[in-house]
Amino acid sequence: MKLTTALLLFTCFQVSAKVFSQTRITLKLQATELKKVLSLIERKSSYRFLYNDETVKAGTRVDVDASNEPVTDVLDKLFVGRSLSYKILENDLVVITGKDIEVQETRVTGKIVSSLGEVLQGVSVKVKGSTLGTQTDAGGNFALTVPDNAVLVISYIGYTTQEIAVSGRTSINVSLVASTQKMDEVVVIGYGTANKRDLTGSIVKISGKEVADKPNTNPVASLQAKVAGLSVVNNGTPGAAPDIRIRGTVSIGNVHPLYVVDGIFNDNIDYINPNDIESIEVLKDPSSLAIFGVKGATGVIAITTKKARVGQTIINFSTTYGIKKLVDKIKLASGEDFKTLFAEERANNGITTPYDYTGLTANTNWIDAVTRTGHFSNNTLSISGSTDKNRFNLGVGYIMDQGIIRHEEQGKLLISFSDEFRVSKAIRLGVNLNASRTKAPYDATGVLDQARKVVPLVSAGTQRFKVRNPYGSDTIDANIYSGLNVDLQNSGVVNPLVQLENEYNKVKNFENRSVGSVFAEINFLKNFSFKATWYADMSTVNKRQYTPLYYAYNPVNNTPYLQSQSTKVSENDDSYKKFQQDYILNWKKSFGDHNLTATAGFTTYYFGYFGRSGSSRPNATGQPIPDDQRFWYINNYFSDLSSATGSSNQNEYFTVSELARVLYNYKNKYYLNGSFRDDASSRLPIHNQHQQFWAVGAAWDITRENFMNNQHIFDFLKLKGSIGVLGNQTASQLDGTPINYPAYPLLATGNAATVPFGTDLHTAASQIYIENPDLKWETVSAKEVGVELSAFNNRLHFEANYFNKTTNNLLTYVSRAAIGLKDELINGGSIRNWGEEFSATWSQNLSKDLSLNLGGNITFLNNKVLSLSKDLPTGVLSRNFQNNGAAESRTQPGMPIGYFYGFVEQGIFQSYADILKSPVQSSLGAYQPGDIKYKDVNGDGKITSDDRTMIGNPTPKFMYGGSVSATFKGLTLGIDIGGVYGNQIFRNWGALESPFQRTNYAADKINRWHGPGTSNWVPILNQADRINFLGSTYSIEDGSYVRIRNVQLSYNFGQRLISGAKIKNLRVFINVQNLKTWKHNSGYTPEFGGDATAFGYDNAGGAIPMISTAGLNVTF
Amino acid sequence: MAAVPLAICFFGCKKMLDRRPLTATLEDLNQGKIEAQSLGLYSALRNNAGFSLLPWIDFHSIRDDDAEKGSSATDGNEVTAEFETFNYSKDDWAPNTYWNDHYAMINLANNELYLADSLKVTDAASLRNIGEARFFRAYSYFNLVRTYGDVPLLTQKIVNPADGIKAKSPAADIYAQIDADLTIASQNLPLDASSYGKGYTGRVTQGAANALWAQTYLFRQNWAKVIGLCNAVVASGKYSLSPKFVDIWKDGLSGAGKNGPESIFEMQAYDGASAATNSAVEYGSDFGTSQQVRQGGASVNWNLGWGWNTPTQNLVDAWDNSDPRKAATILYSGQDDGGAATGGYGAVLPAFGTLDRKYWNKKLYIGNDPAMRAFTGYINSSGAARWINHRIIRYADIILMLAEAYNETGDGANAAKNLELIRNRASGGLGATRTILPVIPYTTQAAMRTAIKNERRWEFAMEGVRFFDLVRWGDAVATLGGLGYTNRCRFYPIPQKAIDLSGGVLKQNPEWP
Repeated sequence: MKLTTALLLFTCFQVSAKVFSQTRITLKLQATELKKVLSLIERKSSYRFLYNDETVKAGTRVDVDASNEPVTDVLDKLFVGRSLSYKILENDLVVITGKDIEVQETRVTGKIVSSLGEVLQGVSVKVKGSTLGTQTDAGGNFALTVPDNAVLVISYIGYTTQEIAVSGRTSINVSLVASTQKMDEVVVIGYGTANKRDLTGSIVKISGKEVADKPNTNPVASLQAKVAGLSVVNNGTPGAAPDIRIRGTVSIGNVHPLYVVDGIFNDNIDYINPNDIESIEVLKDPSSLAIFGVKGATGVIAITTKKARVGQTIINFSTTYGIKKLVDKIKLASGEDFKTLFAEERANNGITTPYDYTGLTANTNWIDAVTRTGHFSNNTLSISGSTDKNRFNLGVGYIMDQGIIRHEEQGKLLISFSDEFRVSKAIRLGVNLNASRTKAPYDATGVLDQARKVVPLVSAGTQRFKVRNPYGSDTIDANIYSGLNVDLQNSGVVNPLVQLENEYNKVKNFENRSVGSVFAEINFLKNFSFKATWYADMSTVNKRQYTPLYYAYNPVNNTPYLQSQSTKVSENDDSYKKFQQDYILNWKKSFGDHNLTATAGFTTYYFGYFGRSGSSRPNATGQPIPDDQRFWYINNYFSDLSSATGSSNQNEYFTVSELARVLYNYKNKYYLNGSFRDDASSRLPIHNQHQQFWAVGAAWDITRENFMNNQHIFDFLKLKGSIGVLGNQTASQLDGTPINYPAYPLLATGNAATVPFGTDLHTAASQIYIENPDLKWETVSAKEVGVELSAFNNRLHFEANYFNKTTNNLLTYVSRAAIGLKDELINGGSIRNWGEEFSATWSQNLSKDLSLNLGGNITFLNNKVLSLSKDLPTGVLSRNFQNNGAAESRTQPGMPIGYFYGFVEQGIFQSYADILKSPVQSSLGAYQPGDIKYKDVNGDGKITSDDRTMIGNPTPKFMYGGSVSATFKGLTLGIDIGGVYGNQIFRNWGALESPFQRTNYAADKINRWHGPGTSNWVPILNQADRINFLGSTYSIEDGSYVRIRNVQLSYNFGQRLISGAKIKNLRVFINVQNLKTWKHNSGYTPEFGGDATAFGYDNAGGAIPMISTAGLNVTF
Repeated sequence: MAAVPLAICFFGCKKMLDRRPLTATLEDLNQGKIEAQSLGLYSALRNNAGFSLLPWIDFHSIRDDDAEKGSSATDGNEVTAEFETFNYSKDDWAPNTYWNDHYAMINLANNELYLADSLKVTDAASLRNIGEARFFRAYSYFNLVRTYGDVPLLTQKIVNPADGIKAKSPAADIYAQIDADLTIASQNLPLDASSYGKGYTGRVTQGAANALWAQTYLFRQNWAKVIGLCNAVVASGKYSLSPKFVDIWKDGLSGAGKNGPESIFEMQAYDGASAATNSAVEYGSDFGTSQQVRQGGASVNWNLGWGWNTPTQNLVDAWDNSDPRKAATILYSGQDDGGAATGGYGAVLPAFGTLDRKYWNKKLYIGNDPAMRAFTGYINSSGAARWINHRIIRYADIILMLAEAYNETGDGANAAKNLELIRNRASGGLGATRTILPVIPYTTQAAMRTAIKNERRWEFAMEGVRFFDLVRWGDAVATLGGLGYTNRCRFYPIPQKAIDLSGGVLKQNPEWP
């Protein structure tokens, strides 16, 4: 028998004293539907009715005339003459049945696990339509006495709620399917948490599980393609932060989001173990962000770390191990190809004598020579436990992360500790600590670019030579790497192995970081709570580096030479100090149908950076510093301290802020959110330090309206909208170099400030930039409207948002070099970002053992620069790269930010006749057949610099992600895909090299023009034809791609198998990240980040490997 | 309870928010800030490429018939087109930098003068500083007016950037400003750098101001002024011709050779011990590095520099071998460097073919003392010669300006006398009976004019003097026409970026539409 009940969502303020309490009611009704009568009784009493629609038929009308009568009497009268009886159970639950049916009470027990087989603790198990219920314990078990015809509602944050009819069973085991979009979940908002239902904005919550078992040291890297509106551009260097933007590029300065980890503001989350994360929330809309003031405009990623839950002690161990492989390599000429192409290039320059390749006989694949299979491992142990008064969670982990470039390896030891102590019913104290020690990888970021430049004829191996011991006078045998033939390659081209192999282990670079907080929270006067939290984030980076002596050999005459001729040690100490204090007062009260939560707060934030660096070396005739770590200090006896160097660099700032927020709703139907923040910053000019930010939002839960009562499609439907003004604290030069004191021009120091006269030195003063007394932070006027819904028994969750953000007062570092002025940071100009986000998930149990989850999201992005500062009369903010700035990103009104600017290639001049009949392009330089024919964009009959135009946009038109996961018994298969569409990449290699740099040819040069008709795209080989080295569509490639981001197969062992071993839960998995990428460009990857106004450049690096891992997670 | 933090803020926030930088700003400097800004002018002279690096070489030297870009064929190929074959570019690094750096210097000077003006300083030290600012501003405008003709005239501190956008002023107005500046500079600057205090050898003097002023009059063919100013420099007694020509170019340990008797104005560079690897004692300039022998296919110990600004075949062919200056100016691939007598060090250069050029600029090679290389660590693969001072104005120019001005005013005797000073010194002081570089007596004004032109060519070869000489003599079309020079090439087009920045206020040189 299947029971359905009416929606029973009325709030009851009465508390029933005990079962069979003789609650009395007064009710006078005539010819009223029985169901309505029952519902009115529910409203006026503590009783809840449970019945079958067939039992209490629609259309049954009754009269009631009761005056201060016990409810039982009223019911007895009502049921007289009808084939109905009732039974009152625990908690005033009244079961109405047919007269001849006996309701039995049944003791139901069961176990609740996730679809992945993990034990779920704290799951709510309730009898539908009643307040009767319980929670699962640490083993996922529950026990509850219910009517045998009850329906159990099983719900848990992050999972789709299930309803299960008891139907007389005494044992019910349930597997819950994870849901990424749930309306009733609690989400982190600024300075507190809230039920998502009460909010008017867009916050996406991601479970920590999503990032825990992914092979990324930086947890944010795992969010790629998972959240609508969140762009994550990864790179392959271990531990390196991805380029992250939320809802577009909002500034020409800072565009990266604010991280808030358990309340503390941060610019990175390097110190967090992905396994310690409970949840990640992405905050995107004005209503959620205004409370963050000057740091809110770029969006917020809030991280909550794991805390102990009520229950017994739990020990969890997880381990992951994997390998990384470079799968998409760039294509370059082979040794023979190089010879052919180089001979042709020489001939094109009139040199017909064959090149002398003495000593250059190898055929090295230089990409293979500098890369390898990397390894990854993460081992984490955590213990949590709790008593009535105290809860704690303790974790320790070690992550080893190797890059695919030889010797690139990061090691990270992470510990976490949290403890919460309940002093009394009203007072809670807590402490939170995350600490890490990170061994930074050897900096090999330039190696891939260096490798592709070396001609393949150079050997990547070593040769054995007898050489003088550079540290002594004896002779030693040494394995020596090849130098280059300096006649062929010298400027800016090196054999990367010479330095890499000799120096990778001569650096010790460690960061120690501790981030901690303590809080005290007190509840008082029933509706108030006050919480004070003090945070500190202290880190030091200590780097010591030694330059050893080593040889390379000249391949032409096969003789070794001392490549590194003098020893040196350098030391850097950087310390960062961040302090934050929050004082938050909360007031929560309901007045009838009006529900109100108000928050007021005061917070300050201090940031300080203090860096020192120094170096020393022996004097020219002294003994070199021996190759021993004992001496990697400035003062090591061998160094000539009179020539040691030392310098320091430091800056700090303070912000002081007041904030307020109100969350209001009427009947849980109409919602209103408002927030306000005043920020004062020490970085702004004194009279200008305060700035205010605000937002208001409204939402309407349509499913609460009566007219929605009779539909069975939507379980939840909410319309929402918000508007506000957010801040962006940014101050940097156009290349992203921060300006720490924008209100105070500093003086040049060091070389630029030192003036020699003869051999005497003096110090000069010149300001680096001009002071702007009116400076203020950028503001973003943001709007959002959207809809959220759940439908089909909560199987479908869907959210759609439209956003529109206009950034004003862009902080622009304007160059006025052409009038000889220093640069100045000014406010001016605006950018608009707008777009739509759609995300949906579908969860379904296809059978008892098989469940399916589908998810997808897509974000359409538009970006337009509305205006730029009037102090840039050209109206263009230009970023230039490669020789003479041929590669150009422009930011210009009417155009998308950072668009690529250059010529349009129309083909290749096939002959002089072709040249004669084409527009003249001699203003760009001399040209000949084989050179690029540029398009006459402005149609004036000649090709000049005016024919440059937009040749690409680094911002995708849309980005998307999708996931499928299927669970059969304990086995789960999950596949994530992601991609972007409609952006372009500017390829800097193989096209725009310096004229005096001889590099290996990119493979496309094999199809170069070498006579009429041979190519209409790749120009003649000739470095002297500079006309081919202008930025043009020749260097532009399609950036669209689709990637299989993750494939994961996992298995949860059933209880029968593991309970004997005292194991509560055991899960094993294999995962492949970046299994396959379908792309159109020639680089290692289609993902290239950058800064606000220059991104999407392929500099022959950034390779992203495929990572295959296997792991195990066990809970005792 | 919430009152507690609010109270904290009430008393503490102002202090929290009032945070000055943890390093000095201009306001933290005391009265010396005029002095410190004055020194900033020298810093700009050394560090701004437009005054001492490739752009300067491009504009001043390789445009003539005797110097060329050098280096390997492909290195800086665009410069060959822009400066050797006269396909002037409106938007490229070198020309843009030259323009920007000169205006940067002008603004530094304007700012300093504004400060001095607002403080109404009258002390001797500050007056000297004013003289320096005037000198550097005049020096910058002189380069600009020679290079571009009419240019915008900025003489005030720019508070609102829009005030910096100006239309061109006629060349005459630029020269008027130069005269005004050098009048003050000449009055305020000391006769001798020692007046600045100890340790200021090479700081600008009245002699530098007068010499520069004379050069500007030379360009205006105001011969009387040239004679007057040059004679003032001579009469100061502070300068003399270096007895040995090669000594002018020496630049060795402990500053030996820097700021010699002939030095009137030099860009100062300094490298201490192990400067190659120790930036704390590295205050050099790539002016010297850029003009050293380039390694090419040779062994690493010939990696001395970038190999720019090299002698042309034309210079080698035109120059009589009997002139000892030729052996001190031209360094030959595949030959001995000539040893100490001609400023060499006894090394033999690798052959042409292995090296990219047949000839190299020896004046800078002389400054590249191997002892200094060892001292600074600029050896083998870290080859550079960043300690070398750029000799901008030397006393020989005073003498040859006098010769030229006397000749043009009809004073043949004085013209011949001054010419002879230079020729005799060039011969090594052999006197009137010498056979090399024989005495040239005055016969006709035209013959003397030719002799002086030749003398300037040999004396200042590779020093960046000849192109502007050819232009002012009216000889440029005849001499450089074969390379592509036409009359409009006397002025370079104004950088497009400057025109764009002005929003159309600044107009392009009409000869370069």
